[in-house]
Amino acid sequence: MKITVLMKDVPDLVEDLELEAGQLLVDDISFVVSEWDDQALEEALLIKDEAGADVTIVAVDTGDVDTMLYTALAKGADRAVKIVGDFTRRLTNRTRAAILAEYCKSESPDLILTGVQAIDDIDGQIAGLLAGYLDIPHASVVREVHTMDAQLHFIQEYSGGRMAEFTAASPVLLGIQAARKPPRYVTVAKVRQLQKSATLDEVQVVLPSTPGLTVRRLYKPEAAGHAEMWGDDADTVAEHIVRVLGEKKLLRS
Amino acid sequence: MLRIGLIVVTVALIVVSAALFLGRLLAIWAVMKTARPLNRTDRLGERIKSVVEHVVLHRRMFRITLSGTLHYFIFSGFVILLIDIVETVGEVFFPGFTVGRILAPLVDIWVILVAVGIVLALYNRIILKPKRFEGSDEKDAYLILGLIGAIIVGIVIHDSFFPFVAPQVFHVADPVARAHFLGFAVSRLWVALGWTGPTAASIGYALGYLIDIGVVFAFLAYLPYSKHFHIFLAVPNIFIRNLNPQGELVPEPIDETMAIRNFHDFNWKDIADLYTCTECGRCQAVCPAYAAGQPLSPKMVILKLRDALNERMAENTLDDPNTASLAGGVISPEELWACTTCGACQEACPVFIEHVPKIAGLRAALLEDGVIDPNAQKVLVSWDRQGNSFGQPARKRPAWAKNIDIAIKDARREPVDWLWFVGDFASWDPRVQRLTEQIAHLLERSGIDFGILYESEVNAGNEALRLGEYGLFEALAQKNIKALEAAQYRRIFTTDPHSLNALKNEYGKFGFHAEVRHYTEAFLEWIDEGRIAVKSVPIRATYHDPCYLGRWNGIVKAPRTLLQRLGVQLVEMPRHGAQSFCCGAGGGRIWMDETGMTDRPANQRIREALALGDVPFFVVACPKDVSMFSASVTAMGVENQIRVVDMADLLAGAVGLKTADEAILALASMATVSP
Ligand code: SF4
Ligand code: SF4
Repeated sequence: MKITVLMKDVPDLVEDLELEAGQLLVDDISFVVSEWDDQALEEALLIKDEAGADVTIVAVDTGDVDTMLYTALAKGADRAVKIVGDFTRRLTNRTRAAILAEYCKSESPDLILTGVQAIDDIDGQIAGLLAGYLDIPHASVVREVHTMDAQLHFIQEYSGGRMAEFTAASPVLLGIQAARKPPRYVTVAKVRQLQKSATLDEVQVVLPSTPGLTVRRLYKPEAAGHAEMWGDDADTVAEHIVRVLGEKKLLRS
Repeated sequence: MLRIGLIVVTVALIVVSAALFLGRLLAIWAVMKTARPLNRTDRLGERIKSVVEHVVLHRRMFRITLSGTLHYFIFSGFVILLIDIVETVGEVFFPGFTVGRILAPLVDIWVILVAVGIVLALYNRIILKPKRFEGSDEKDAYLILGLIGAIIVGIVIHDSFFPFVAPQVFHVADPVARAHFLGFAVSRLWVALGWTGPTAASIGYALGYLIDIGVVFAFLAYLPYSKHFHIFLAVPNIFIRNLNPQGELVPEPIDETMAIRNFHDFNWKDIADLYTCTECGRCQAVCPAYAAGQPLSPKMVILKLRDALNERMAENTLDDPNTASLAGGVISPEELWACTTCGACQEACPVFIEHVPKIAGLRAALLEDGVIDPNAQKVLVSWDRQGNSFGQPARKRPAWAKNIDIAIKDARREPVDWLWFVGDFASWDPRVQRLTEQIAHLLERSGIDFGILYESEVNAGNEALRLGEYGLFEALAQKNIKALEAAQYRRIFTTDPHSLNALKNEYGKFGFHAEVRHYTEAFLEWIDEGRIAVKSVPIRATYHDPCYLGRWNGIVKAPRTLLQRLGVQLVEMPRHGAQSFCCGAGGGRIWMDETGMTDRPANQRIREALALGDVPFFVVACPKDVSMFSASVTAMGVENQIRVVDMADLLAGAVGLKTADEAILALASMATVSP
């Protein structure tokens, strides 16, 4: 089974983001791997551990993605591909998906995994966009991906705690919500060792032209209602809880 | 006839036992040769001195009086036994041979001492039953005691018949007959029984000879397969002990990995350690993880590794990749992650076995396989990304300094006398920040020229290394070294013993050497130089030695002298100084899951302090201790009996800082300024 995992790095929100004249100071931001992509990588590696697979990590070179790719190799990915071209940090997801589609068409993997979302998804999630470009089946908010008899089994989560089990024939593109296990640790030394010994495959892709959005304004949500403060007296708080649950018809009498 | 017979038997015994002994020794030697290298034959003088101290004088052994005494009797008996062997074999091989009237009675004196030693050992094992023996091979212990008992009985028997055998069978005189006073006394019995003729005496003598010399050589052959191999290995193992700073976990920069998966990954001293273990359990008795009900016992780590090595040697599977990994297989992840790296085991071990480097190396292998507590993993990631364990932006490291109206110098920009390495906990933990601010006030008040590295400081890496993450440790160390080398300062001080240990003992391998002081040392110096005037704080208090200050760095006097200068009446807990008991936080434990712990080490320590009776203050000198022990006191609900105070609290009170704790300030204001 050929698995391709699409990864990107996003601003590290531990650090405060700084604005200057309404513009984000992109150069001052430190970037970390998008946590959902990290989950997708872990799920791919678990599939590899379980049933054997050839795992390729793909990232669009929008800045320094090398460490992220070497880290994935250190964790156990077989190949890392950096898509190079005239790309900046301001790449939209629509364009990013078009770039990735270009690459995936030439590689035709059996399974494509990526994070269900990322903190900088302004114009939709990569998984859906890319599946559209590739014209292959897609599911998002997925976990528990297993391969069985050349088929893929996975669970999709819905709101309200509902779940559905799916079987699909490859190729499939899945947006991963969470891996079965927390992403594995990889030591600094191992990453450094791979930086010395491994090479990243560079694939040239021409910047496609895609329709895009323009962000006009970023602002905080306007408050629609206000929180009700119940104080810190346990009995009063309990009464309020019972009342609210009753109003919402969540209590059986 | 008798002589010829005994000579033949003796030669056969020597050949067989020497072959068995040497065969075993060579097999172990072969493993040691494939192990990682290590220089442990330098500094001869110091090594000989340490052998005298710990073999001849039994320094560590005597920490437990009964065991030390009984062991001294038996141990010295082995030295005296040599006289007996030379004499006994000599008189058979070369008729007329004697060791003389001075050495001969020594043998008898030691027969009595060894007998007393055996009785005490049996008393210890059967009546007292110290818990430290749990898990040891008790049968082996009894077997050995039995063999030693047999040897001394044999000695007395052959000595008692020799006065008759000598003239009648060997046709020589026995000039030392009376000098062997025990044998001589027993010979009176043979006279009374009439067993003095050539035949009876020959039988008696041969019996005694075989019991003595036969058992001696049987012992020799059996030794290398038993815990009593320490009789041969203890001295060399003490000789090759670690003489580098104790707090240095890794002596040289590591190129490849520090991970230990199989026996070739150990260094040769590690292999020697496994066979030197006496199973005495002193390490287990002082281990906080063991005391807390965790699955770890340092003794069992050594014994399990030794047994696995024996098995693999026997089955010739040392190079078999299908054998279980030592990390996670032979020693479980739960055992390995339970260690606080407090070093109490190493400090207690009479034969200088080094547990902590083994545990750290095994941890490194687990880490490479991704087996680690999820919380600790988060901390590792935070160190890598942000340089601190709190997962906070690096820029916020000096945020505490904004809470006070002191302009703290930036040592990166202007020269300072003292560079203050603040550390993660002191910078971020809300309970400790207060103390950090207090220290800044104290420094300013005393006119100390000091500065900090601001956001250029990162975690010192002491715990990363002890979690087995060498690469991360190195990356952190290099960042700090870069910042330190760009800064101008004369000396460094820190409130954090863990940072102190890294800066002092672990950065040297990267070429960084600076004078690093703990704040208790620095403040003592400033007080003694008259730069700080202190009032007395007349309280009764006990002092907890942090592992990374007292044990690993031997800084036990400065904090005590400082307490003295502050007029504190110090009441010592039973376990103090290098024998202090860990709070449970070290080695990354502070971030790990505590489920399965039946009795937290910090709680045990507070109980130890409470048992002193009427000691209302528990003084600490480590930011992690402030967190650990305050939590324990609260959890145990003993706030009205004991209060955890940091040295900084006492100093602030003694100097009369407005920001000092009111209760301490009140106590200090009643006292006069000390001279
Ligand atoms: S270092 Fe401390 S916790 Fe670890 S095994 Fe030794 S005594 Fe136990
Ligand atoms: S390691 Fe040392 S202290 Fe522990 S049982 Fe062995 S000899 Fe005793």
